[in-house]
Amino acid sequence: MAPPPPAMPVAEAIAPPAAARDSKINRDLLSVMGRPSLGYFALLGTALLFMHIAAGVWIYQVYEGLGIAGYTHPIFWGVYIVTFVFWVGIAHAGTLISAILYLFRAKWRNAINRSAEAMTVFAVLTAAQFLGIHVGRMWKSYFILPYPNQRGLWVNFKSPLMWDTFAISTYATISIVFFYIGLIPDLAIARDRATGWRKLLYTALALGWQGTSRQWKSHTRSVLHLSGLATPLVLSVHSVVSWDFAMSIVPGWHATIFAPYFVAGAIFSGFAMVLTVMIPLRRIYGLEEYITDYHFDNMARFLLLTSLIVGYSYAMEYFVAWYSGVEFEKTAFWLRAFGPYWFSTWTMIICNTVFPQLFWFRRLRTHIPTVFVVSTFINIGMWFERYVIIITGLSREYNPAVWGLYTPSVPELLILAGSFGFFATLFLIFIKIFPVIAISEVKELAIHEKAHGGAH
Amino acid sequence: MPTLVGVFDQPAPVADVARRLRGRGFDKLEIYSPAAFPELDDALDEKPSRVRIFTLIGGLLGVTTGYAVTIWMSLDWPIVIGGKPFASVAPYTIIGFELTILFGGLATLLGLLVVGRLPYGSFGKTDKGYSPRFSSEEIGLVVECPERDVAEIDALLRAHHAREVSLVEA
Repeated sequence: MAPPPPAMPVAEAIAPPAAARDSKINRDLLSVMGRPSLGYFALLGTALLFMHIAAGVWIYQVYEGLGIAGYTHPIFWGVYIVTFVFWVGIAHAGTLISAILYLFRAKWRNAINRSAEAMTVFAVLTAAQFLGIHVGRMWKSYFILPYPNQRGLWVNFKSPLMWDTFAISTYATISIVFFYIGLIPDLAIARDRATGWRKLLYTALALGWQGTSRQWKSHTRSVLHLSGLATPLVLSVHSVVSWDFAMSIVPGWHATIFAPYFVAGAIFSGFAMVLTVMIPLRRIYGLEEYITDYHFDNMARFLLLTSLIVGYSYAMEYFVAWYSGVEFEKTAFWLRAFGPYWFSTWTMIICNTVFPQLFWFRRLRTHIPTVFVVSTFINIGMWFERYVIIITGLSREYNPAVWGLYTPSVPELLILAGSFGFFATLFLIFIKIFPVIAISEVKELAIHEKAHGGAH
Repeated sequence: MPTLVGVFDQPAPVADVARRLRGRGFDKLEIYSPAAFPELDDALDEKPSRVRIFTLIGGLLGVTTGYAVTIWMSLDWPIVIGGKPFASVAPYTIIGFELTILFGGLATLLGLLVVGRLPYGSFGKTDKGYSPRFSSEEIGLVVECPERDVAEIDALLRAHHAREVSLVEA
């Protein structure tokens, strides 16, 4: 035991705690927010370019009308809706990682949860725009909200599109709340070290956080409760999106399997997107110490699991179509595989069910180039999955006399490319303003490990 | 009043010493921690966090609103479908569910702000015992005590593995 301090008036002993060198975790993770490189600006510039092209095309569409999209009778849900469903799907990984894996106490989540949550928020924002783009007169989108109007009529809550409005806006709100609450302690870390405009920004956003025991106690409790709320939410959102289709009577859509099938697909595509983004991020910013092969191994296992569920759903759709004995169902599925859209169908099947089988092997799960390539193909495959469901469904309904074909038009494809630009722009700005890894959660493990001799 | 700051490496000793100090009547304690440690949760206050009440009220308000809005609106503008009741509760459950989550989540945020007393302090200022080291990897325990107890508490903190103890106010 150290001896008590010498007897002297306390006023003379006043000294604040000595300044100490900042911890390695802080230095490593805050350095990501440092001065951007030329390559960063090149990427940001490309993303902004695509985004602005899409904005230009959208303005042209507002002027010219929805005719510039490739819609032809009977197909009036095209690339915009496909892309909407795609981005909503991408948005599922973040909340899954932060809420469900939190409840399961899967500690490996804390290296990836922050960026995954950010991706969730940005993907929902991207998706939401497509509803407006799709309806054409975006400025009248508020019609879908239940607001008191002069005619005294109300929206129809029996419509799946209304459910979707509530599900998506709830999801967007809760993901932003979740993202922000998780950020508060890290914003305080950044505040204590920043200067200039950043200091001002972080001081405002950190709300005076100092990590007092009262603050942490209510923070932990809030995160727990939000996880409890977000877990059923994440499962409900893509179920509701699937009901946009399943509640109709279109052959190939009207199936009870749709909700779990869409949720598994959403988690599948979301994890694939997280991998596609995190692999270059880790490489560029040298985060190998925090995002290890162990994390990629776990995520690849998730991909394998969800790929099997998705593959099972594909098979089951065909089985049910055959087993139902309904001519329209059987024809719809025959034409899916061997009709005019065979290319999309086989792209979807190969990308989503064949390539992920490589992840049965640990060596491939930890071989980063393989993981990157497979996850990219899964992103492509999952976009095609929605394309197959929506377009082949609508093109071959009951009466052959009203069958039709749809080809995406150039403006639609430019807006699709622009959505990636929008997403990338937001993400690139995010990595320079907010910590990409949840620093305080990494520390929780690191400090505990120090107590146990670092053997983990 | 003299204020002592003990700097610690690990949360467990902080919880121990905080309990001891409280047991001896020193109530003006504060802990600053860089991460959430379960050990510290109850060190200063054993009562469960009141955030749960906010979540519960928010959720209940949400489910009530969800059903009330949908049922009232379908009665206010009746659409006749084959003699069925105007309000069909099954699909309205989805709205009820979503609003449970929405209101529950927003109430949880409110709970964090109210129970955690955020925003805290005045803009750009931190507590006198706070140090950026506590947003690094060390844990701080701040004790306010009468002058006559300074030496004793200093010794107590050091006995509980405080890496250093300093006095920030006389």
